[in-house]
Amino acid sequence: MSIRLSRRALSVGAAMRELEGDELGGVVLFAGRVRPDRVASGRVQALFYEADRPLALRQLRRLAGTARGRYGARRIVLWHRLGTIPVGDVAVIVGVASAHRARAFESARYLIEELKATVPIWKTDRARPARRPRRPRSRPRGRSSG
Amino acid sequence: MPKPGRSVRIVLFASAREAVGAAALERAVPERGVSVETLLRELAREYPPLAPILRASRFVRNGEYVVGRRGRVRRGDEFAIHPPYGGG
Repeated sequence: MSIRLSRRALSVGAAMRELEGDELGGVVLFAGRVRPDRVASGRVQALFYEADRPLALRQLRRLAGTARGRYGARRIVLWHRLGTIPVGDVAVIVGVASAHRARAFESARYLIEELKATVPIWKTDRARPARRPRRPRSRPRGRSSG
Repeated sequence: MPKPGRSVRIVLFASAREAVGAAALERAVPERGVSVETLLRELAREYPPLAPILRASRFVRNGEYVVGRRGRVRRGDEFAIHPPYGGG
C-alpha cells in the first residue's frame, strides 16, 4: 500500500503506476479536485488543507488494512495533499487494484467515504469576494481615469 | 504563561484554532490533573466561540482518542481538539 500526506501536487499517473500488477484486472482510481463553489464570502479560489499528521497516517493505514481484509483490495493508494490547493488541482487520490472490478469498486468507495469521515484532515476555503466593491466616484462621468 | 512541567498542552486545529486565535495553549492544571469534562467546560467559558465547536469535536490525549469525558488530563499531557473532519 502507498499512503502519503504531502504538500506536493498529486499525480494521477504516478498513482496508476502504483496499482500495476499482472494479476490485478480491476483498477479503480478516484481523484478529488477542488471546485470553485460559491460560499458566503464569494467564490472558492483554493482550499487550505491541514492534518493531525501522525493520527491521520495511522488512520489511513487502518483503513487500508480494512480494505484489504474485508474487501479484498490487493494494492492501495491513499494520497492526500496538504497546504493551499487551487481550484482544479487534485486534493485526494484513492486507488485500488484487485483481481476483479467489484472488489476494487467496493474498496475504493469504502476508502474515500471513511477517509472523509474518520481521518483528521480539515479544509478551509480561500475565497475571492463575489463582487468587487464599488469604487467611489471621484471624477465626473464620462472621463477616463488615464 | 504556566511552566510546561505543570501544564497541559492543548493543540487546536482548523475551526477550533480560529475560534481561539492560537494553534496551541499551555494550561496549568493541579497535580492530580483535571477531568476532560472540566477542561472542556473551562475552555468553553474562556473562549465562547469555541463552545459549539467543542460539542461536535473529538479529542485526542497523547495520540489516542479520548472515549467519554470522565478520563483525566494530567500535567505533561498533550490534548488535541479535533473539530469535525473534512478531508477529500
